[in-house]
Amino acid sequence: MNRGRPNDRGVLATLFRYEIKRLLRDTRMILIAVVAPLVLFPFIIFVMRMVERTEERRLVETVYEYALVGDEAEWGREIVAAALELEANDPDTSRAPVRFEEQQVVDADSLLIASGIHLVVEALSPNAYARIRAQEAAADSSDAEEDTAEDIEVEETEEEDAFSELPTLRLRYRAQSDFSRNASDRLSARIVELRSQLRDSLYRSRGFPIKLEQIAFVETENTASAEKEGGALLGLALTPFLLLLMLTGGSIMAVDAISGEKERGTLETLLTTAAARSDIVKAKLLGIIAVGIAVAVINILNLLVYVVLGVVDLPENFAVALSAVDLVLLLVLFLPLTVLISSSLLLLSGYAKSYKEYQIYFFPLFLVFLVPSLAGMLPGMELRSVIALVPIAGIGVAVREIMVAQYDWLFLMLAFASTGGAAVWAARLTERTLSTERLISQSDLDEADLVGGPALFPRHVLRWFGVMWVIFLIVSLWFGEDLGVRGQILVNLVFIFLGGSLLMVRRYGLDPRTAFALRPVHPLVWLAVLIGAPAGYIVGIGLAGLVNTYVFPVPQNVLEAFGDTLLGDEMPLWQLLFFLTIMPGILEELAFRGVLLHGLRKMLGPVGICLLVGAIFGIFHVSLFRLVPTAYLGMIFAAVVLLTGSIFPVMLWHFANNAIGLVPAHMGWVTEDTVLPWWGYALGLLGLLISFGIIWMVRTPYPDLKKKRPDAFA
Amino acid sequence: MESTSVRVEALRKSFWDESRGEIRAVDGIDFECRPGEIFGLLGANGAGKTTTLRMLATILKPTGGQASVNGHDVLAEPEAVRRSLGFFSASTALYPRLTGRETLEFFARINRYPADQVGQRVETLIERFGIAEYAGARVEKLSSGMKQKISIARTIVHDPPVLIFDEPTVGLDVMAALEMQRVILELRDEGKSIIFSTHIMSEAEKLCDRIAIIHQGRILALGTLEQHRQATGQHYLEDIFVHKVMEVEGAEDTT
Repeated sequence: MNRGRPNDRGVLATLFRYEIKRLLRDTRMILIAVVAPLVLFPFIIFVMRMVERTEERRLVETVYEYALVGDEAEWGREIVAAALELEANDPDTSRAPVRFEEQQVVDADSLLIASGIHLVVEALSPNAYARIRAQEAAADSSDAEEDTAEDIEVEETEEEDAFSELPTLRLRYRAQSDFSRNASDRLSARIVELRSQLRDSLYRSRGFPIKLEQIAFVETENTASAEKEGGALLGLALTPFLLLLMLTGGSIMAVDAISGEKERGTLETLLTTAAARSDIVKAKLLGIIAVGIAVAVINILNLLVYVVLGVVDLPENFAVALSAVDLVLLLVLFLPLTVLISSSLLLLSGYAKSYKEYQIYFFPLFLVFLVPSLAGMLPGMELRSVIALVPIAGIGVAVREIMVAQYDWLFLMLAFASTGGAAVWAARLTERTLSTERLISQSDLDEADLVGGPALFPRHVLRWFGVMWVIFLIVSLWFGEDLGVRGQILVNLVFIFLGGSLLMVRRYGLDPRTAFALRPVHPLVWLAVLIGAPAGYIVGIGLAGLVNTYVFPVPQNVLEAFGDTLLGDEMPLWQLLFFLTIMPGILEELAFRGVLLHGLRKMLGPVGICLLVGAIFGIFHVSLFRLVPTAYLGMIFAAVVLLTGSIFPVMLWHFANNAIGLVPAHMGWVTEDTVLPWWGYALGLLGLLISFGIIWMVRTPYPDLKKKRPDAFA
Repeated sequence: MESTSVRVEALRKSFWDESRGEIRAVDGIDFECRPGEIFGLLGANGAGKTTTLRMLATILKPTGGQASVNGHDVLAEPEAVRRSLGFFSASTALYPRLTGRETLEFFARINRYPADQVGQRVETLIERFGIAEYAGARVEKLSSGMKQKISIARTIVHDPPVLIFDEPTVGLDVMAALEMQRVILELRDEGKSIIFSTHIMSEAEKLCDRIAIIHQGRILALGTLEQHRQATGQHYLEDIFVHKVMEVEGAEDTT
């Protein structure tokens, strides 16, 4: 076997070279997927710009026709004439003036709706105006009329009561017509301008010493350089743009990578060669990465060419300044994103049985990637938050911050690590997919399937909890208010958690004693729990405080509202203890540290089990601000069960934890303002360590955990 | 090298079908194949021939038992196993956008044939199979007969000691099938161990040195044609096959 090792790089290189060679020979694919967009892109831009310019020209060149109606038409005509005078003699030459022409018509409104004129100017006396308003109010309340015309009112009064004898101008236009809307916008702006001039001259004539605008004069100044502003703008769009190019570019290669080989029948030929599965996957992955990057680079260069040629306009004064370090940082951040995209595309290709299936699956995958990449566009989203831990989204926000020269190194690393972790996971999953026999054999074969029963359970346990979570969510969202706190707790704990657990035990024929870890423990463990529960609670508060301050700030009123819900005055102490401490202590433990942990025991190592059980326990507590504290608690509990092999200690711990959290507050011994000194937290941490120290000393580990695979089978 | 190139012991493979439950595609078979021998697996469609051969080619994992190729265990050393064998079946297609020459070069390299000898090996095979005229054309442009020749050359390009032919003549016309048979006999004479599966009795009769009659995942009889004749009293392989199958079916009916 080792005879061939020195050649491995040669095999990988050959596989890669031929992947690329085969793609490049697919001229039809290259033409449609790469060349056509390059040619079409400027063409579309060109057509769009031509249409836009023509439209702009038409908006300026059109003579806007309007009708003047109302019982104060003469007065209105004077105002409009003065306003149009301003339009015609505008000293600002950046905007060409437009021309208006009054039409004498019989039924102005009908003509407006029939596009016969652009605008109706209604000049109304106070009485007529009041009458029309009353009529409209009556029509609105009966909701009878669907008028296509919209109104703008330019009132000559600001204080209706004092000057109610002044007439009003109403501009009626059709919003669906660019010309009608433009006519209304232009004319109303000029009338407002005219109003200011009239007001100023009135004030001046009465001896007011200054212009009105000079009172509390405001001037705004942008202190950001053009580079920073450009960086912020580009930073918003860079990640989704590159992601889009990588996804579509990489797909050109990915669709053929496995699903194409399956369809052509070449996969079996390839899999019966001496090439290692890992080399085949690596070569295909490298191929997708290379093609994805090449397509992205070609498109960006293409875009730059059109910017230089002036086909594509950049925003005014657009500038971006990136240092060499920034560029390297961006490349480093885009690296895991590229690998993640490519692995996922390859995974999709392995999963799909044909080209057609690949195309069907591609769109949902596209959305799954695109949505988090838009995180950078969310206003106020900062990297220093949980977003850094969300693959792709973290990169989106990190890139935006780098573009404005803001470097939060810790969180940049977190963003890199979260997407990088997802990328490695996807790559491994792809390799495993290519090793499965389902690629070749149509039968749904698996040893667990054959044995069935308990052996099948680990493969299905996460699906069960997924379904339970959906039911849990529906119950809380739709029936939460009707059920009340007690009703919800009963439904969640008894029906969903206990019912779901018992169903799983029955369906897979699990031994309840093993599945629920109902085993006796060393007496010292109870002492450890009595120390650990209060200590762990204090550490939990500290952790929640840190998270709520630095990672995900939670408004105080949300916390208080949550406390009030649970501590409603109407619940007597015994009910509080029963519903919120004893029941969760027993039933949540049976579900999460019982069947869930039992199902995961062979899937992951001990640390993985603790993290996953904790995370799932956390997301079952729905609200975001409780995620970290409950996940932390779930991890502690899972660790105790793994070390003791029993669920009983954590039932007591869970019960004690909830009681410590609720009873003192219920009795009024502590308030929301009670603050623990720093040494309190230190003591808590010490207590927790002592507790785990004791458990470790008398540990009776959970049986039948995942075994390490011998190297020969790796 | 051992005197036995392929050894199969108590090999089993089960599949799971949602409606039918466990299907024992291969149910504990034993055989071996020696250098310079054509070993035939004769059975109807669905008898377990392809599943057995795919386990030997390490595409499928055995559910039980053992198998080795050229001394390498199929589970422990899958890559060494694959390097020692050439696999040809109706479902091992060629890359349409590569030329014949490129195809041979590609498969020689990824099967780790010594890099400095790849060119020479490819030209030798091109000459041997008489494909020089179209070796530079893309496979997609070639006729099925031409493709077949390239496909056989692809199977042996890395000069493996063991060759597996899984129903190689399915879908071929008479002339192409005869050409295939000629090549297989030639390869046997070169000392290759050849496992040949078929459901065509005349082909097995003509080519195989020893024949295993496989039915419902089990080997019903194994031996030379002469041994089969003596054991059953039948002359033609077709009659021998029916005789053996009826023996089992009859036994099952009476139980």
